[in-house]
Amino acid sequence: MAHQHHITPLSIYLTIAATLLFLSGVTVWVSYVDLGAMNIVIAMLIATTKATLVVLFFMHLLWDDKKLLTIFVMSLMFLGIFITITLLDTEFRGGVNPEVKDSINKRAAFYDSLPLTDTHGNPVDEHGSSHHEEDEDHH
Amino acid sequence: MIENQKNYLTYPKGIMSWLLTLDHKRIGLMYLFGGLAFFFLGGLLALGMRLELAAPGNDFMSNDTYNNVYTLHGAIMVFLFIIPAIPGALGNILLPLMLGAKDVAFPRLNLASFYLYTLGALFTIYTIIAGGVDTGWTFYTPYSTTSTSNVIPMTMGIFIIGFSSILTGLNFIATIHKMRIPGLTWYKLPLFVWALYGTSLVQITATPVIAITMVLLILERLLGIGIFDPALGGDPVLYQHFFWFYSHPAVYIMILPAFGIVSEIIPVHSRKKIWGYKFIAFSTLSIAFIGFLVWGHHMFTSGQSVFSQIVFSFITYFVGIPTGVKIFSWILTMYRGQVSFTPPMLYALSFLFLFTIGGLTGIFLGAVALDIHLHDTYFVVAHFHYVMQGGTIVAFLGGLHHWWPKSMGTMYNQTVANICCLGVFLGFNGTFFPQFLLGLRGMPRRYATYDPQYADLHNYSSFWSAILGLSIFIAIMNLLWSLRKNNKLDPGTNPWGAMTLEWTHTTSPPHPHNFEEEPVLEHGPYDYDKVIVEPTFKK
Repeated sequence: MAHQHHITPLSIYLTIAATLLFLSGVTVWVSYVDLGAMNIVIAMLIATTKATLVVLFFMHLLWDDKKLLTIFVMSLMFLGIFITITLLDTEFRGGVNPEVKDSINKRAAFYDSLPLTDTHGNPVDEHGSSHHEEDEDHH
Repeated sequence: MIENQKNYLTYPKGIMSWLLTLDHKRIGLMYLFGGLAFFFLGGLLALGMRLELAAPGNDFMSNDTYNNVYTLHGAIMVFLFIIPAIPGALGNILLPLMLGAKDVAFPRLNLASFYLYTLGALFTIYTIIAGGVDTGWTFYTPYSTTSTSNVIPMTMGIFIIGFSSILTGLNFIATIHKMRIPGLTWYKLPLFVWALYGTSLVQITATPVIAITMVLLILERLLGIGIFDPALGGDPVLYQHFFWFYSHPAVYIMILPAFGIVSEIIPVHSRKKIWGYKFIAFSTLSIAFIGFLVWGHHMFTSGQSVFSQIVFSFITYFVGIPTGVKIFSWILTMYRGQVSFTPPMLYALSFLFLFTIGGLTGIFLGAVALDIHLHDTYFVVAHFHYVMQGGTIVAFLGGLHHWWPKSMGTMYNQTVANICCLGVFLGFNGTFFPQFLLGLRGMPRRYATYDPQYADLHNYSSFWSAILGLSIFIAIMNLLWSLRKNNKLDPGTNPWGAMTLEWTHTTSPPHPHNFEEEPVLEHGPYDYDKVIVEPTFKK
């Protein structure tokens, strides 16, 4: 290859490794703190930071051809598109018919007229849970 | 030219030299024959369905059998023929030749892709032997998590084929970036190469999502993890988001290479420089990008939020712009050119008619209000067959006829090929145009029986499907018949007078290492206004 290989000093590797270990500790610690809706956001933020450090330093993307960095960022962009537009559905569902936003109530009055069964036609117990695992045996 | 010159078909010899070959041309041929075998199988299933639908009532197969047949038809045609066929077969054979390269960037990875495809195909064959699968090729939840048919082997096969597709895409991108000869700048590349580049980008960005989707489906079936089942806290519509985030871009994996083929055929057989080179090149990339933003238009009746429906419907219309740019560029290329009605050109012209109908009916379906009426009717069936078969498969047949003398060194009977092309065109329209009418009158898709009021149109459609099937079969047989003994062309032959490197700088069939020496670029791919390349055709 024509381009020069970047030689990373050992100290950088060690610093990054220490940071990663520290962030793992933070992940564990923060899992004991209930932040409500922010739980998932904080956990994902820490995980993303760690992944970014690994990619930039351990995988040398910081010093490599910037085209590779572009491709990497593009893949994140497509993931962003997927998640954002899917959330446009789940967050705005029920805008016209509010009842479609609710989770399924297996004990609703509608079910009183029907025998409680799952999609195989097997009986479902009073609490509304079907015998899923048993069904899987015969394939 | 020397009489007994080495070419990739005859040198080296032996079965192992084929099975372990690293030559992109041989791998391409193996993809071609694998793809054609599945095309034949999928075609038989389609004819079986048309036979059942020729009259109302279960005359030929039961409802359960019919469910299996349409699922396997869809899955085989999409995952085992259309998606791998053009990039895997024509792309593999032509890409390095068009770039002046000896091979793709990673020849071993290329062979690995082929074997992953084979492994996925084996899973499919197992599925068929084990009794089929009845969920439809989309494997929609909640039915696919509870169906007792062979969902797991089939989705496992698709998972594996997905990796084959990703690796091919990766290989092609690296090849296009790194393996061009000096002087072959981006704007001097043949447009087929641009099309493969766009396709490859979609393959590597979208395909991992179908892999994840299939894994989640398998996990939910095996372990009862609640991803899609609302009783377990999942969301069945989420499955559709996952599935179509891949499968809508996959439509462009199927159609973009077809655009590339048409962009090659039309200037060569019109003997005229392509009109709007940069427009065509960049419309390819913009279709690839917009394709990622419109998946929700498959889900207008799924119960997704109204807000999403409006957004998806709006963005969907944007696909029409780059597509229109291409269609008009091809028409303007033919304008005042010397159009010759050779088999490849006839296929390209059929493509223009059929794909335009397919594309325009897509605009109908992109409108939410109309789609809610037409969803899951034969209108949709007709629409996507006009795009997939009338577009991709017709272009594929055109490309096969265009590059057959190049890759095989033989010429088929052109009169027979022209008659078959006419048969494909008439048979296709006869089969699928009535289905638009059936759909508008409310005939739902995926049913083995129907009300007598639909009988006439169904009967008509079935009759023409036999003509269509027969025409394609004879067209392929005509190609294969040209491989008989003592039918070799002169190695220097260039029957269409094409200007791209694979025609001007190497023999037909090409040398095992593509070129005797590194080619020197003398002109652009479509410089018919500057250089004269005479068609040469002798035995």
